[in-house]
Amino acid sequence: MLLDRNRNGSEKQWRVRRDGKDKVTGGHAFLTDMGFPRMLYGRVLRSHYPHAIIRSIDLSAAEKLPGVAAVLFHKDVPGLNAFGIADPNQPVFCDSLVRYEGDALAAVAAETSEIAEEALQLIKVEYDCLPVVDSPEKALSPQAPQLHPEGNILHETEYVRGEIEAVFADCAMIVETTYETPRQMHTYLETEGGVFVPEDSGSLTVYAPTQHGYKDRMQLARILAVPEEAIRIISSPAGGSFGGKDELNVQPYGALLALRCGRPVKIHYSRSESVKAGLKRHPMTVMMKTGADADGKLLAHQVDIVSDTGAYATLGGPVLNFATEHCLGPYRIPHVHIKGKAVYTNNGVSGEFRGFGGNQVIFALEGQLDRLAEKLQLDPWELRRINVREPDDPGPLGQRIVPTDGPRQVWEGIQRSPLWKKRKRSDGTTGKVPWIKAGTGVALAMHGSGLGYGIPDPGGGSLRLNENGKIEAAFGHEEFGQGLLTTIEILLQDHFHCAAEDLEIVIGDTDRVPPSGSSTASRTTNSVWQALNNVREPFLAAVYRKAAKLTGIPEIRLQTGPGGIWTTADCGGDKKNLLKRVITYKQLADQGANEPVFSTKFHYPLTPDPIIGAHYLYTSIAVIAAVEVNLLTGMVKIAGLDHCVAAGPVINPPGYLGQIEGGSVMALGFTTMENAVMQEGYYTTKNLDTYLVPTIFDVPEFQQVDAVEELISGDDFGPRGVGEIGTVAIAPAIVSAIRQATGKWLTALPVSPEQLVAADAVISSYLQPEEADRKEKGRDN
Amino acid sequence: MNRPEKSPLLEKTADFSLNFSLNGSQLYLQVPPTRRLVDILRRDLRLTGTKISCEIGRCGACMVLIDGKAFNSCLTMAYQCQGKQVTTIEGISKDGLDVIQQAFLKEGGFQCGYCTPGMIISLKAACLARVSPDFSELKEALTGNLCRCTGYGGIHRVLRRLSSDQNESGRRAVGKDRDADSSAER
Repeated sequence: MLLDRNRNGSEKQWRVRRDGKDKVTGGHAFLTDMGFPRMLYGRVLRSHYPHAIIRSIDLSAAEKLPGVAAVLFHKDVPGLNAFGIADPNQPVFCDSLVRYEGDALAAVAAETSEIAEEALQLIKVEYDCLPVVDSPEKALSPQAPQLHPEGNILHETEYVRGEIEAVFADCAMIVETTYETPRQMHTYLETEGGVFVPEDSGSLTVYAPTQHGYKDRMQLARILAVPEEAIRIISSPAGGSFGGKDELNVQPYGALLALRCGRPVKIHYSRSESVKAGLKRHPMTVMMKTGADADGKLLAHQVDIVSDTGAYATLGGPVLNFATEHCLGPYRIPHVHIKGKAVYTNNGVSGEFRGFGGNQVIFALEGQLDRLAEKLQLDPWELRRINVREPDDPGPLGQRIVPTDGPRQVWEGIQRSPLWKKRKRSDGTTGKVPWIKAGTGVALAMHGSGLGYGIPDPGGGSLRLNENGKIEAAFGHEEFGQGLLTTIEILLQDHFHCAAEDLEIVIGDTDRVPPSGSSTASRTTNSVWQALNNVREPFLAAVYRKAAKLTGIPEIRLQTGPGGIWTTADCGGDKKNLLKRVITYKQLADQGANEPVFSTKFHYPLTPDPIIGAHYLYTSIAVIAAVEVNLLTGMVKIAGLDHCVAAGPVINPPGYLGQIEGGSVMALGFTTMENAVMQEGYYTTKNLDTYLVPTIFDVPEFQQVDAVEELISGDDFGPRGVGEIGTVAIAPAIVSAIRQATGKWLTALPVSPEQLVAADAVISSYLQPEEADRKEKGRDN
Repeated sequence: MNRPEKSPLLEKTADFSLNFSLNGSQLYLQVPPTRRLVDILRRDLRLTGTKISCEIGRCGACMVLIDGKAFNSCLTMAYQCQGKQVTTIEGISKDGLDVIQQAFLKEGGFQCGYCTPGMIISLKAACLARVSPDFSELKEALTGNLCRCTGYGGIHRVLRRLSSDQNESGRRAVGKDRDADSSAER
């Protein structure tokens, strides 16, 4: 199905977002927009050096500044002075050692943010600087200072099958390439922030965006040494996240300051503080050696991944697990040896980011296939067909997965893109000026959803008729732009045939929602779909029972509809015609005791095979990119990007389309321009004047998104999320297109225009064609 | 070692009387002349529809209209607003949703919505500057606005709707062949 409002199938659910009106009028209150009476402003003191021993911290001058309400440091943390989702090894406040320039030493709450800023400058810290470990290579050298008690390696992976060395000897063709990927920044337009409000009851309410409210509550309780129930997390809406707000950021500081002062405290990072302290995508160096037989059958694949995980753990380990699994792609490769290392450095912390380690290794893997195809003189798309998995094949790490034909479906589907026609005929010329060369490239990928084996991955939700007469669905999920509210609205209306106004959808508030797991890993759509399937029947049974009792009409003739319960004419099967509304939801709710809450708890679909990090549900994508490269400037214009995605049924067409378009452009940035540059442990790209993200002039005006909805017969796992899949195959498609346009293979991202500028002689021939012509003729004579 | 001492903070600037029109109401405020307009709006007046993001005029989240032209309120100081008419996103829909706002709603021109007020302001300025701006003029108006969620897909649809609603050249833009697009220079 082409996702286009004017096409068949899409228009039904092409609706205005549930949170739409407030977002276009400025009425939408982001959590960083909130204010409270007597609110103080908080600021955090960051390290002055990327690696140093702290000799002393003197807060006294700051404490004396008029207008300062509190100055806190490590001695003021009542509980665990650390955070981190997987491994809490990042100090809330450093006490003896700083490991990166974003490390926090102290925090101030003051009457105005200007006073707080002034107070920060009055805090005196004495350091002894240490050598800066600013690359994984340095960190792995035997002489390197050890950054953590366990050394400089956060996590290692290894996966072996077959006899790789022996088989390489038999390969007709081998390509070996090392790929490098940049430190990409999430660049959510709303920087990290929130408001922290101590309640009269002694509890704390946190208004701060995150992707897993209950996880924040657990981490904060551990830091504050209070029961989790004493903290309420309001975690939605967010002005973008993309993985970046999954980990704690401002929360420990805001919470500690608010509890100390007994007053609301607001912290909202400036962009430069967000750059310094916020997570980034792991820069990776990926070495791949890949061998095939003369017919193009892949035989052996050796991979060595090194990721720069920065100063602390957060999810650096799981990201490496994901990369290890995804560097095999949707291909059958009998002999494999993968090794991975996530390495601590004094650089900024790398962590969770849309695509979660897949983007880096898929860029490398697809590059390998293109290079092999070229050497074997095969069509690169044909090479993929030869090697693509069969539906019942095990997953990349040999684990059982839900059978999928997604890779083959999208392999075929992408050929319906109008860009496909350009693929063969392109000889680099554009018919414009001689120095602008065109090319197309195609890439294929498969991407796991859910957290994978070995990590608790709970789902859940609840449904009730609330006292306002609304059908209330509650989930521990968050809306950060992806369109979750509308997806839930559509699912509920499909179940209950009611009006959108009959619904109350509650998310992102730990006092009002059940635990549902994280809003990450492309898991949320599937998770809410499962939850509603589980609670629908018991909810309806209770509603009909009560309505029947109140109206005297038999349950069998009742049906939920707009505004309340209707009588129906039975047309047989599931389909019923609504005749007359007999009782409104409000009337139903007003009668008798409170309505019961119907809840469900389950585990996200999980492979039965105990392979750490291995996934069970997969989605697939094929991408075609068309580029035009200016050989005078080296600039690459992305003229087209089309996608074919297999992720099960589409629930929310504009939401799905938006995820693919937006993910694609985020990956376009990763490929062509984005890099948070660090030198000797300091960010040199401190704001959006030097850290460039795509503008409206850098992107194709139209992207075709073709959704393959058909699942293999017997697959009743329903819709999969598409939050990440749109980002994973863009880089290899663009780089392949650049190869076709220029003859140059790039191995490092973002692509460097300098590498694409033509040689001087070629440029001269473009600019002075007549002279070049004369010279040419002169030679001929 | 200690880090170098920063220069002593500047003495607080004396407040001045700011007299300007905001969303049609006349306001008198005592503020430092250098106070940023974005802080006056978001902090002093609690008008938070205007967003703050990069604070250096690169992202456009803080756009407001000053005498009908789009300005970054993070780069505008109080004294520069003296006697001016300032319109924020809250002032755009005073008499119902503007066509630009309707286009964003219908076309899915946003996801998280954080950039949206600034986008709408920039387009409003373009529509005030000339009658029936065409697709490329509207697009040009968004040069200074970043969106991280949509990939500009929905925003391009907004521009097509606005230009085709308004004039003939816009209709050409709707059917515009992306392949016929111009050079690789940017």
